[in-house]
Amino acid sequence: MEITELGIAEVVSKIKSKELKAKEVVESYLKNIDKLDKDIQAFLSVSSDYAVKKAEEIDESDNKVGKLLGVPIAIKDNISVKDFELTAGSKILKGYIAPYDATVTEKIKNEGAIIIGKTNLDEFAMGSSTENSAFFKTKNPVNLEYVPGGSSGGSAASVRAKEALVALGSDTGGSVRQPASFCGVVGLKPTYGRVSRYGLVAFGSSLDVIGPIGRSVADVARLLSVISGFDPHDSTTANVPTGNFEEYLTGDIKGKRIGVIKEIRDFSIQEEISDAFSSALKVFENNGVEIVEISLPHLKYALSVYYLIAPSEASANLARYDGIRYGFEGSGENLRDFYEDSRTKGFGKEVKRRILIGTFALSEGYYDEYYLKASKVRRLIFEEFKKAFDDCDAILTPTTPTTAFKFGAKATPLEMYLSDVFTIPVNLAYLPAVSVPFGYDKTGLPIGLQVIGKWFSEGELLNFAYVLEEESNV
Amino acid sequence: MYKPTIGLEIHIQLSTKSKMFCSCSTEFGDPPNTHVCPVCLGLPGALPVINKEAVKYGIKLAHALNLNINLASTFYRKNYFYPDLPKGYQITQYSLPLGFEGFLEIPMEGKVKKIRIERGHIEEDSGKSIHIGDITESEYSFIDFNRSGVPLMEIVTYPDFESGDEAYEFLTLLRSIVRYLGVSSGDMEKGALRCDVNVSVSKDENRGTKVEIKNLNSFRSVKRAIDFEVERQVKALENGERIVRETRHFDEKEGTTKPMRVKEELNDYRYFPEPDLPPLVLSKDYVDELKKEIPELPHKKAIRYIETYGLQEDYARTIAYNKKYADYFENIVSAVSHPKEVANFFLVNILGILNKIGLDIEDLSFGVDSFKELFSYLDSGQISTNIAKSVIEESVETKKSVKEIIESKGLIQVTDENYLREVIIKVINNNPTPVSQYLSGKKQVFGFLVGQAMKELKGKGKPELVNKILNEELSKLEGGNV
Amino acid sequence: MKIDLERIEKLAVLRLDESEKESIAKDLEEIISYFENLKEVDTTGVEPMVYGEKIELVLREDVVKDGLTIKDLERLRELFGDGYFKVKRIIGE
Repeated sequence: MEITELGIAEVVSKIKSKELKAKEVVESYLKNIDKLDKDIQAFLSVSSDYAVKKAEEIDESDNKVGKLLGVPIAIKDNISVKDFELTAGSKILKGYIAPYDATVTEKIKNEGAIIIGKTNLDEFAMGSSTENSAFFKTKNPVNLEYVPGGSSGGSAASVRAKEALVALGSDTGGSVRQPASFCGVVGLKPTYGRVSRYGLVAFGSSLDVIGPIGRSVADVARLLSVISGFDPHDSTTANVPTGNFEEYLTGDIKGKRIGVIKEIRDFSIQEEISDAFSSALKVFENNGVEIVEISLPHLKYALSVYYLIAPSEASANLARYDGIRYGFEGSGENLRDFYEDSRTKGFGKEVKRRILIGTFALSEGYYDEYYLKASKVRRLIFEEFKKAFDDCDAILTPTTPTTAFKFGAKATPLEMYLSDVFTIPVNLAYLPAVSVPFGYDKTGLPIGLQVIGKWFSEGELLNFAYVLEEESNV
Repeated sequence: MYKPTIGLEIHIQLSTKSKMFCSCSTEFGDPPNTHVCPVCLGLPGALPVINKEAVKYGIKLAHALNLNINLASTFYRKNYFYPDLPKGYQITQYSLPLGFEGFLEIPMEGKVKKIRIERGHIEEDSGKSIHIGDITESEYSFIDFNRSGVPLMEIVTYPDFESGDEAYEFLTLLRSIVRYLGVSSGDMEKGALRCDVNVSVSKDENRGTKVEIKNLNSFRSVKRAIDFEVERQVKALENGERIVRETRHFDEKEGTTKPMRVKEELNDYRYFPEPDLPPLVLSKDYVDELKKEIPELPHKKAIRYIETYGLQEDYARTIAYNKKYADYFENIVSAVSHPKEVANFFLVNILGILNKIGLDIEDLSFGVDSFKELFSYLDSGQISTNIAKSVIEESVETKKSVKEIIESKGLIQVTDENYLREVIIKVINNNPTPVSQYLSGKKQVFGFLVGQAMKELKGKGKPELVNKILNEELSKLEGGNV
Repeated sequence: MKIDLERIEKLAVLRLDESEKESIAKDLEEIISYFENLKEVDTTGVEPMVYGEKIELVLREDVVKDGLTIKDLERLRELFGDGYFKVKRIIGE
């Protein structure tokens, strides 16, 4: 079997048993990158020398420990890796070399993972297609005329194209799940507070979560186990026990209840996706699961709530990019001119739009009507989910209303925002959710289905995904 | 009559070892940008974590200011652009501050002035910008982020002040309080205490237009600025002018306030709750425990000294406002009593000498035993108060004991009345002219005669006895016998 | 609804050029009118939601730890004098 066909568990055990050399693994992946990435452009930078050196260190050492030993991993370029460039897909950070590791970076390094490169993203994670990257567009490996999704488009594409064994992305409104769905890979958004945000370039502070993207539920489960945990550097991480999420993948879900959201009918969904959704429900039923109808009446407001809260938080989070201590330096006759020049030249159009929306929503006279109101409706949505989870153990939805679209297909920002309808409510309610590939549409584009779990129930959640995965592999 | 309405906004640096939201050192005076990290430098991906000790200091200070403590207060982002503000926002508190509705009662001019305090909250400090070279020549400013992230307590008073003096007294007391609590050095020179002032004047109950004054470097400047501003506003209003609502800065050299050159930018801070920090939830037990740790505060001590010991107000304040002085004073007085004398000896003589020889109260060895000795001589009349003062000074300076000094210098007063009478009669006989001047009515010559007697006695005559006996002898003469 | 774009630009410290201004203004107006649907939601007595589930207060011990060195900083930006960041004059001081 090709080295790049092997999953994480196999790669790690073969390296530990010396059946495989870490260097062979890394070189196979680098070969793929070499061959494919000029077309796909998933990577902003490839760290081949670093990766080979790390692999050699593993091979030379007798002490072969680590849950991710020798695993080539791609990291979305909004996650800090010490001494690597950290651009967040933006000109304003081009050339910025991160002086510290994100907590997740430290954790994966400690388990022997090998960082193979930083992947492309929508600028500052603002987007759903990776078209907003200041540098170039990433293509969907399944069909290069289509977007890979966003904002973690590079990470999802790299996993699909076998340019990396597994990847890390970030999810604020669907940015891990939607590209995973578009590229036909598994993408998990953990519960808010499950994974540290220290070292993640902040976008929407109360929404952002770092999540794993992999080819299989098992791979995603293992990466999640490594990156999870309370972090004293992040006051929003929860002090809940973590553990080995792979242990939950038994395939036994008998007696569980899956919720179906009544209000989904109000949204227009691509036919093949509806069909896939129905098939999945049957799979669950065949596994002894009860299908329950639940109601989330305020679901239709989720988009407005999200597109007020996220940009508001972002407008403050992006205020630090003023050109003084790092990043792009503009020019100007005086201080004010200098600030404006640095930021206006450094930020792309979508980022500027969102900063302006956020600034507006927080400004005097509008705060109550917009930001505050949105925060209140957010609580209503949260409470509705809470109530729904009295009646079910997980909720099934399509990940997206359509499969991947072509470049330039979304004419207005609002149109682009509308593709996040099923993923956004999850972030608003701080819930965990996973996108599992479940077939293809007529044109051969991947379909993804989303399972939403209760707070801090990633083990159970991944087990549901595992069942779907088993079925769709048949 | 125009009545001034004055309020203060004070920022106090809390003297924790590490910063408010990160583990960088708060040490003052080190080379620029040597105490920074991703958090206080505002690097991408950095997150704040609250310093437990800063919260503790804040609560203690809130207790001392009689503030009600909010058991659940929240942090907010205050958004504005400035080079010394690395994140482009300051993490502060807004609608639910740590403490609200308190007061401070200041003993001054024989009364107690109550200043109500609107709120006290904790926040982070910004970096510091300096300008090298002349204002007109350098086109650059230089930023040091060592101060960025240092914990601050912001205190906002109600506009209850009516004069610069009151503000001065308030700040003096506040500085003393923070030192008593050990939560801050209160040193305005090191920037550990900063103060902005709001001043308005009006003839009726409607408040006049408020003017803010910044850039005050000392308590004295605060007083001078207020006094000048009140006068400026009164003069302007009397001239029929209107007061412009503005921010002015205080010119140290000229003692005047001037409008600030910078145009007032849009002040829309767009406050919203800090999503990176959960609410600061405190247990009532914890808050109450901290209240027990508050020592007797300086102003309470001062009032107690005045009422219980009969000390005059300025003495009481000087001792009480300095914890080391107060501890020393109380230690002595609890052993030897004599509070008024001890206060006097301490403030005038002991501190005088310490100052002269450049020592601190820590180096003082003149303590309970020394005072015990001293008072045994003093109370028995063996030495006079004047002698006592010089004995103290010598003892402090040379570290010789009281007994040693008195005996080696033979300072014991002559109280033998017979001997005194002999000397005085001798003096009277040796000074016929002054004596007859006295007898003919020039009573002020008495002092001269006392001086002569003392000279004979080498200063060791007990003054009361010398006076008494001289009087007696002179009266005999007045009686008309020559 | 009509937005005072200039005022928001000032607060956000962005200077859109003329060609962008119109299209962004239009985008903003379209997006913000979409938010009007929130007005129909009755939120009387509802507390705003900011923090997630099980997020408890985390307090840090008052211990000093090493941060970034001057060398680290120089990799980010050139320093001046004894190690200062340089910026165009702050007016009014």
